[in-house]
Formats: sequence, C-alpha cells, structure tokens
Amino acid sequence: MEVLQSCWRSAARTDRGKVRERNEDSVLDQPERGVWLVADGMGGHQNGALASRLIVEEIAELELGGNLDQQVRRVRQALHVVNRRLGHEVTVTADQPDAVMGSTVVALLGNQERAVCLWAGDSRCYLWRNQRLYQLSRDHSLMQQLIHEEQVDPLEAARHPAANALTRAVGAHERLVLDILEFSVQPGDTLLLCSDGLYQSVSTGILSHALGLISPEAAVEYLFSHALSGPARDNISAVVMRR
Amino acid sequence: MDSAVDTPASPAGTQVAGKPAKPTLPAVRQGGELPTVLSNRYRIERLLGVGGMGAVYRARDLLREQYGDPDPYVALKTLNEEFAEYPDANALLYSEFALTSRLRHSNVIRFYAFNVDRVSQRAFMTMEMLKGPTLDQLISERTEGLNWHELQQIAVPLLEALHASHSVGVLHGDIKPSNVILTADGLRLFDYGLGQPVQGLLPGLPRLSRKRIAAWTPRYAALELLEGGPLTEAADLYAVAVILYELSSGHHPYSRLTAKQAKCMDQGGTLNKPENLPSNCWPALKAALAFDEEQRNTTVAQLLACFSFKPTSLLQRLFGHAG
Repeated sequence: MEVLQSCWRSAARTDRGKVRERNEDSVLDQPERGVWLVADGMGGHQNGALASRLIVEEIAELELGGNLDQQVRRVRQALHVVNRRLGHEVTVTADQPDAVMGSTVVALLGNQERAVCLWAGDSRCYLWRNQRLYQLSRDHSLMQQLIHEEQVDPLEAARHPAANALTRAVGAHERLVLDILEFSVQPGDTLLLCSDGLYQSVSTGILSHALGLISPEAAVEYLFSHALSGPARDNISAVVMRR
Repeated sequence: MDSAVDTPASPAGTQVAGKPAKPTLPAVRQGGELPTVLSNRYRIERLLGVGGMGAVYRARDLLREQYGDPDPYVALKTLNEEFAEYPDANALLYSEFALTSRLRHSNVIRFYAFNVDRVSQRAFMTMEMLKGPTLDQLISERTEGLNWHELQQIAVPLLEALHASHSVGVLHGDIKPSNVILTADGLRLFDYGLGQPVQGLLPGLPRLSRKRIAAWTPRYAALELLEGGPLTEAADLYAVAVILYELSSGHHPYSRLTAKQAKCMDQGGTLNKPENLPSNCWPALKAALAFDEEQRNTTVAQLLACFSFKPTSLLQRLFGHAG
C-alpha cells in the first residue's frame, strides 16, 4: 500500500451543474488502493443518484486484496451484483413497472506497472501521454453503435434522435457486459475518468491542457472552471490520476 | 415499542444535505437530499440497498459510539423521496415498524427504533446491521444448484422465519433472494416494506393500500398480486418456493418469467424436479409453485416439514445428501 501511495496521485470532484435539480453522478478517489471510478446515474426521481451511489460505495468498501488481475475480477463481480440489484431484484410499483434505475460506470485500477480500465455506458477514460491525448474507452451509445457496427457516417449518426441513448449500463439489462482495456503505465502518465457532462462541455484542447498541468488537483480545478463557465446543463464529474 | 420525535439539531432550514465529513467517507462524494446526520445521532455512511420505495443505509450511531460501543453501526431505512412526499408517508413507514417489531425470531432481522428527524421531517427506522452474502449472490455463483445438505441449511431457517411471521399475523409481501442474507450467526429474512398484517390484526394501524401503491418484484410475485389481488400467506408461499427451486436447481423455475407470462406459456406443465432435491420434497414444492392461488394446496408449515427431513438411508448417512 505504501508503494501505491507513492506511485499515484489523484484528485476528484463532482458538481450538480447549473440546471439539474440533483447530482446523479458519483465519484470514487482511492489512490492508496489504486482504484478510481465515475458513475453517472439515470432514472426518475432520485433513482439515478441512488444507482450511481450504490456502485461507488460497493467498490469503495470492496476487499480487493491480491494482484491487479484478482482486483479487477473482484470489481467485475461487484458490478455484476449491483447490476442484479438495480435490475431484476428491484421492487417495482404497479404504476411504474418499467422504472429505470441504472448507471454508467468507468473505473480504473492501477499498480506501478499496469492499469486496467473497465466501463459500461458513455462515461469516459482518457490518457495523456507524451503530450498527446488518447480516448481509451469507447462509448456504449446508439451513436457509436451506428458508426462502428452499421458504418453510418458520424455526422448522420449524431443527428439520430436517440443518438445519446445508452446501449449498456449497470442495471439496464439482464446481463452486464463490461468492456475492459489493460495497458502498461509509464511515469508521467495522466488519466482522466469523467461523465459526459464534463466532456460535452469542454473541448479536447481544454482536456489536453488540463491533463498537462502540474498536478491532478490543478487539472481538476482547470476542468471545472471551464465546464462551469458554460451552461453546465448536466452534472459534471472528473477524477484525474497521475503515475 | 420504541418511537421518538427528537429535538432539532440546528435551526430549521440550516441543516442541509452535503458531503460526509472527511473521516467518514473521504473517497466518495455525491449530491444527495438526505441529511448527513439524522436526529443528531445517526451519521449516514453508505447506501446498502435500494428498492422501489425505500433505501437502506449503513449509519453510525453516534450515541453508542460515545459510550465506547466497538460496533456502533445500524441499518437505517428511509422512504424514497417520491414516497416521502405522500402526506402519510411517515405513517406508512411507522406501520412497517409497528408490524415488524412484533416479530421475534432468530432468523428475522431485529428492529430497533422508529424516529422522525425533526429538521428534515424524514421518518426513518433503525435495524440491526447485517453483513454477509445475500441469496441472489449465492444463486449467481452456484449455477449448478446447491446439494441437499446445503439447501437444507438455508431452506429450514428461511421457512422457519416465514412461518414465525405468519404465525403472528405478519405477511412479508416481497420475498426474494436479495431480501435473505447469510450472516456469520445465521440466516436473516429482512425488508418487510411491503408487509401487511393479516385481516383483523392491528386494526388501528395505517395499512399500505395495495390499491394505491401496488408493488412487487416481478419474478417472485404470485399471479394474484400481479392481477391486483390482496396479499395473503399463499403469495409469500409462492415467492419462497421460487427461491427454494432456484437454490436447488441453479435456475428460476419459470425461465425468469413473471407468473403471468409463465402461465400464458403453460410453463407449469413442464416443471421438473431439480436433480438435487429429494423426491419427498417435490410434491409440496411443486404445489407451492402453482400459478393459481387455489391450486397452491400446501402451506409454509408443510414445506418446512418436508425440508426438515433427515436422510436415513445408509448411502445418505455416509454421503450426507440425497440423489
């Protein structure tokens, strides 16, 4: 644990934004364990907020132990449990039999040499390495599905009335399918986990500049000062980690 | 029975929802409507579970902590905001407390107190904090089903808990795998949020009107509930039978369909005995799984008697399981 403490620095923030009545995002920032997460909840009333909170708090107290692969397995198992809790194990009322209670998730687990990103939905993971910005996750949205599986032109796909609809999320389907990306980390690598409220409200130029700043704290502050200077229609969340 | 309306922790309107104090959950942040400390005593620490109507949190009892209790945690239930807005929402939660505080059984969750936070006017109740895997976790991990010995160790206390509830006139109303937990000191049945007293019991208590708020978990709800009928012991019997079948076979008896869908597809006719289940348990379990209430011609007590059966053959004595 001490090794990990010296190995990663991180900072996190979540904000309701200027329009939404409540914050349905939740973030987890545990550099000492090498675990970070952003969840963006969905559903009526407080369902979205509860869903994202349940994910974050399950992972926050999960006994990880073991090596990175075992830790990833534990986190995946925990997310599958939450998927059932929010899905077919949930009590529904007769007037809202199909009420949604779900959440996106993007999580990062890292040690000194390797990191693993896992996600479902449209919350993202970015990597800033050698002055270049890489988007590591691919959104599970209808727009991405149209572009990648049906070869629809990106501009046309973006015009689809349900372009932003999620094709995967925790609690949305009988089986949760998580995408997983493993990569080796280098000193100076900076990673960003964020909800769509953040990346929709700032340009990739702003993202790049933020991740190149001196510390994760400075990066988070820069990102939020830009995101909140706009209309901020959605909740905004970001976690920045540096190796 | 313990109920209390506390004094305000701070002038009305000044206590707001916010981030937990640093030592509590430094890593987790989220916007929320529930106050961080309820009744100046219970500090909300984490969300344990959510349902259609309520949410359960782990809370630290600051009073118990002040007196040096090494384990000052309680489970704390509140109604979801949409229900908290009902004019009689607090009375609804109180009826759950009044109903369940009549239960005394080692396999039923223990309830501590009912309170109303003066500042937020939110009602909540505290219960014993339970740790361990729930049956839905077990079912998803043991897809091949449990052997007879393992099944018996769960079935008997679960049926005893339900039988004890019914014996004092308390119907559960939402029996499902995630409402049964295996703790270090035994199984507990919990969440009586949709519970009802049997007709005639506790006449003065506000009842959850199923006409106004009908709620269920689709795969475990008996047909009559889905069709708007009243909650009876037979509906709890159906739900517990679905769980027992799932535990034994590793899969839902009706392909994860609701009773209504399964009946339409005539799945009752093709129901087979789970391989691991002793033959003497099957007639009662099959009867309990009948779609129509009047066809469910067995009882929790009869099911309990079957599942309490001890194997007697030499083979069974040597290997401890049947089949």
